[in-house]
Amino acid sequence: MEDKTATEPQMHPDGVGFPAGKVFLSGVAGLILAVAVNSSTLLADAERLPDSRSRSLSVAIWTPIEEVASTLKLTWPRTVGDFLLGRDEDEVLISLQREQIGATPESGKDEWVVLSVEEEASGDELEQTPSVTSGPVWSAENPFTIWVLGDSMVQFFGETFVAMAERSALVAATSEPKLASGLSRPDYFDWPARISAVITAHDPDAVILMFGGNDAQNIKTDDGQWLERFTARWEEEYRKRIALVMDLATGEEGRIVLWVGQPPMRGDGFDSRMRQLNDLYRSEAGKRPGVKYLDLRSLFTDESGNYARYLPNSSGKLTDVRLTDGVHLSHWGGEWLSALLLDEIKKSPELDGLWAE
Amino acid sequence: MLFPTLAFGLFFVVVFLLNWLTRPHPLIWKTVMLGASLFFYGWWNWRFVFLLLWAITSNWMAGSQIAKQLHAGSKQLARNWMRTAIVGDLVLLGVFKYYDFFAVELSNLFGGKTAIPLLELTLPVGISFFTFQAMSYVIDLHRGVIKPMPMLDFAVYLSFFPQLVAGPIVRAAEMAPQIRNQPDPRRVASGEAFHLILRGLFKKVVISSWLASSIVDDVFSNPESHSSQDVLVGVYGYAIQIYADFSGYTDIAIGVALLLGFRFPTNFDRPYSALSLREFWKRWHITLSSWLRDYLYIPLGGNRGRQADTYRNLLLTMILGGLWHGSTWNFVIWGLIHGLALAVERMLPNRQTHPVVRWFITFHIVCFAWVFFRADSLSSALDVFRAIGSSPSSVELTSAFAVLLLAAMLMAQFFPYSKSEDVKQWLSKQRVLTQGLAFGFGLVLIDLFGPEGVAPFIYFQF
Repeated sequence: MEDKTATEPQMHPDGVGFPAGKVFLSGVAGLILAVAVNSSTLLADAERLPDSRSRSLSVAIWTPIEEVASTLKLTWPRTVGDFLLGRDEDEVLISLQREQIGATPESGKDEWVVLSVEEEASGDELEQTPSVTSGPVWSAENPFTIWVLGDSMVQFFGETFVAMAERSALVAATSEPKLASGLSRPDYFDWPARISAVITAHDPDAVILMFGGNDAQNIKTDDGQWLERFTARWEEEYRKRIALVMDLATGEEGRIVLWVGQPPMRGDGFDSRMRQLNDLYRSEAGKRPGVKYLDLRSLFTDESGNYARYLPNSSGKLTDVRLTDGVHLSHWGGEWLSALLLDEIKKSPELDGLWAE
Repeated sequence: MLFPTLAFGLFFVVVFLLNWLTRPHPLIWKTVMLGASLFFYGWWNWRFVFLLLWAITSNWMAGSQIAKQLHAGSKQLARNWMRTAIVGDLVLLGVFKYYDFFAVELSNLFGGKTAIPLLELTLPVGISFFTFQAMSYVIDLHRGVIKPMPMLDFAVYLSFFPQLVAGPIVRAAEMAPQIRNQPDPRRVASGEAFHLILRGLFKKVVISSWLASSIVDDVFSNPESHSSQDVLVGVYGYAIQIYADFSGYTDIAIGVALLLGFRFPTNFDRPYSALSLREFWKRWHITLSSWLRDYLYIPLGGNRGRQADTYRNLLLTMILGGLWHGSTWNFVIWGLIHGLALAVERMLPNRQTHPVVRWFITFHIVCFAWVFFRADSLSSALDVFRAIGSSPSSVELTSAFAVLLLAAMLMAQFFPYSKSEDVKQWLSKQRVLTQGLAFGFGLVLIDLFGPEGVAPFIYFQF
């Protein structure tokens, strides 16, 4: 591809050009064509937006456009294109996995089964580290497997964790982030379904989960009702989802499940919302002996307990541990978190030797 | 507001209409364009609009004083005003972009204690671009290359949204006449503009995004866990990714400006076909390299002094060029590699080396430097080289399609008139409605082939 397109010294060296009015109309016609053909995708994108006026407006705009375009059969080129590129595979996969969840003994009835709510665990219980009960012999052929699953936060430390974990030939780790996902919007990405599929297909020995960054939003129940964020009913529904994910990940007795809490955030409002979510994660983890909640606030705050982009490392050198967005972890922040996670896994006496070689 | 979004599409439809409706009325047109550009910039963070307004006001006032003093024959006062403006721009850039970097390094120098407080400010989008444009304005005024612009003209120039956040760095001498003179509304180069926008979107949304998500991000986030072949392809992939990303943005910016009646300078000219580093910098980010040449390298003495001075000037220019991209040691090293390579090229006798060998060496020096540019840290960059040097193992990321794509993108650099040019010629000769519909169809195809969600342009962070 070459770029020498803007070298002509004059605006219209060859006299080619059209009146601005006609260009406007033709450009708008082109945009209308693109919008009509893509209207199904645009409507789907609008429906995935967080519940808000903006979402309502977008859905209200795209719904009639999509209906008209579908009626006029204008959406078929896109549908055919998606089919040829295998773009509809995800939806098929998710629906199949939902059936699997229904058949999973731990989940009982269906994917949104209501789990029993117990009293919050004591502080001592929170400090427990889940451990494997039996001690299989790990080898390169039969490695200790770890899966890291979550939203974009995982993207910024998952691969670092994999590299650090796989310094032992006896360990195989996989990181699978899904950007802009969470537990609030299974219509965008169905994490319970995905976790169930991972457990069924790979039966990992440890699972690390990190959600929340996109979850401080209104959520829609199975009966289509929107619940306003942080209301009592929202909390009840969100707790169910946390519980479901935790129980799916724990599965058979003995699997290590580490739930990583949200680190402090630069924006006060966002930070406050993440604190509220962390309370829910901590609380639900406390009810399950197989799940360990990891608090990141102490790791990523300065001496005053506040968010800090730069923090001293073990040798006292200031290191940037956060990205400029004030949310995600930097490379070094990812290393810190990965080291913390590995330390946590090593607390299980059967596993400490994995990295001893 | 990102170019490849529906929000920008709607914004531009309105701006296009207002632009041509108000163009016969200069005052209204300039006010409308300034408002549109501020709206575009404020879409990210409205607070930074005040920063942009400050840059406009302070540089215009300094520029007026420079012209006034030159007119009065006070060269020293004019120089002082120029220096004041440059210092002001550098302070602006320094506070937002470099302060924390130097504060941290200073602190670490003294045992990790924070000697001076950290600011932890958000980097305003495009600050490096508009401060460089502002500096070129006051310097050119002092040199007598241009005349002072009216306040509103200068505001439109510095804030002009197509090039505001990621260039090209357009100089006042190029923009002032285009702002002053009304283009012919009967001859809008729609065919060329639609072609540029589609080509830019294709490079960004399809090629750059695919390379990033399929190979490059994986390789650079964890080089040690990939085979040497995968890592090598990841490095080549990044060379193509950053070219597709940045030249794609430039194509869109030039196309958008063209629809508004403006012609921007060329910013990329098949850089990977270069047979030397010197040639590379005449083809890559041309508006930045010419800026560095005219406002840094030549004032430092250029190649007019002793050989040693020339090497020093090359190194300084390229290191500062590296720092312009970001406040990390990786960017400094990236600049240093280019500076050293340029100096070595000058040192070596002009032997008749085969062009293929010269190309091979040039391309691989560029790729070597890109590793530092892309890696999160110095140690990550070294991990990439270690992984390339490790014993070959199973290939996981590299597919036949990826290799073919990289080869095709690289080979296209050697054809001055590619298929893309044919498309432009064909599109320009069509009826206007055909152009519009072809544009719409192109958008559908790009959206179809592009991944879900498109990352911001790489050069936005600079």
